[in-house]
Amino acid sequence: MRISQGKSGIIWTFLEPFLQIFIFIYIRIVINEHSGHHISSYSYSAFMASGFIAFNMFRQILSKSMGAFTANKALFSYKQVKPIDTVIARVLVEVFLTSCVICIFIFLGFIFEVDNFIPKNIVMVFIGLVWFVIFSLGVGLLLGIGNFFYMSIGKFMNVISFILLIFSAVFFSLSSLHPTIREILLYSPLVHFMEMIHGFYLYGLDDRYVDYIYMLYWTIIPYIIGFWLYIRLEKRIISQ
Amino acid sequence: MIQLVNVTKYFNTNNGRKYLLKDVSIDIPDGNIGILGRNGAGKSTLMRMLGGIEFPNSGTIYSEHSFSWPLGLGGGFVGNMTGKSNVKFVCNLYGKTKEETKDIVEYVKEFSELGDYFDMPIKTYSSGMKGRLGFGLSLAFDFDYMIIDETLSVGDAKFKKKAKEALKKKIETCNVILVSHEMKTLEEMCHTGLLVHEGELKFFSNIQDGISAYKEINK
Repeated sequence: MRISQGKSGIIWTFLEPFLQIFIFIYIRIVINEHSGHHISSYSYSAFMASGFIAFNMFRQILSKSMGAFTANKALFSYKQVKPIDTVIARVLVEVFLTSCVICIFIFLGFIFEVDNFIPKNIVMVFIGLVWFVIFSLGVGLLLGIGNFFYMSIGKFMNVISFILLIFSAVFFSLSSLHPTIREILLYSPLVHFMEMIHGFYLYGLDDRYVDYIYMLYWTIIPYIIGFWLYIRLEKRIISQ
Repeated sequence: MIQLVNVTKYFNTNNGRKYLLKDVSIDIPDGNIGILGRNGAGKSTLMRMLGGIEFPNSGTIYSEHSFSWPLGLGGGFVGNMTGKSNVKFVCNLYGKTKEETKDIVEYVKEFSELGDYFDMPIKTYSSGMKGRLGFGLSLAFDFDYMIIDETLSVGDAKFKKKAKEALKKKIETCNVILVSHEMKTLEEMCHTGLLVHEGELKFFSNIQDGISAYKEINK
């Protein structure tokens, strides 16, 4: 666990997302100035922060659940500990850390009175985040099992997650894109989640491109495959 | 009684399957059991199967007794957590109350003689220190069977003696399944013997017979 690395572990857990968000906001501003775009109707800070924190949580959940079985092997000496417990425990830790980061951002938003940092529809943003956690847990479980038997999956996902970060509508809104590109990007479930959170968070944006049925498929199917594999392979994970 | 019914256990190696147990059916009467066998014969795997963390490829193991976790060299601890928090974690696993946990933590701290290291992360421990901690921890719990894999040979002479005495006291109230290559320890602790050899299990109602048979296959 990162927290157990002492003081610097705790500080960096919270400092990392700030630094990253500031860098991305800065890049975005520079790009916009160069291309001569007019300032959009929504605020960058709230847009970046809401998308990036959510995406970061997804990425952390994935990488933590992929390492869960190997890292907690020692605990399988006790027959009370099932491998799936370690994945759930790690996801809960990530959710807790993300909640702390969100609280700090909201606090900062109050202090500096950032433009429209209060969500347009706070209930739907919350539902979007919870759904995103549930989705991430399903994918995490699936990849965790996969990575335990084929190490390449983890390496592959490290590369993919960077690409996903760029193409998941974290830094831009779908409405600003060409329709063809928009259609291609919408195959990614992450884009739907990001659009949902952004759409309900910011005035001037909405969820018109979000396909909730598509998101539901992407949530349920990983769970079905994940649990099916898990039931078949649990004993092998314990004893390897 | 521990009952094995048609138990087969193998590992896949580069040269095909290596059988540790091949269709073994045996009833093992209760008592202090010493397990004998050459390196790689499957002693540890047998212990892990009894402890419920490894599973036969086919067949079943029945017993109404409770077994401890297999007490081996250094397994069962989270490296980033301190010795103390690891002890607390195991207490939680076994559903101990706060007071019981406090007592167990005190007991393990005293027994393992780790001093300041008790509050240091496990990854800073030597294997001897981990063995001490694990051994002390297991003594604090009550099982029908203690599963001990070579742990008695860790630590310095003084600790070894202390551990042996503590175990002797413990087995007045419970049984032990012990793996050891020290025949003297086996003679002292166990009454019956179980020899693991080439996919078979042989039970000896007297540990002496088991030791002779073991010496026979080592010739």
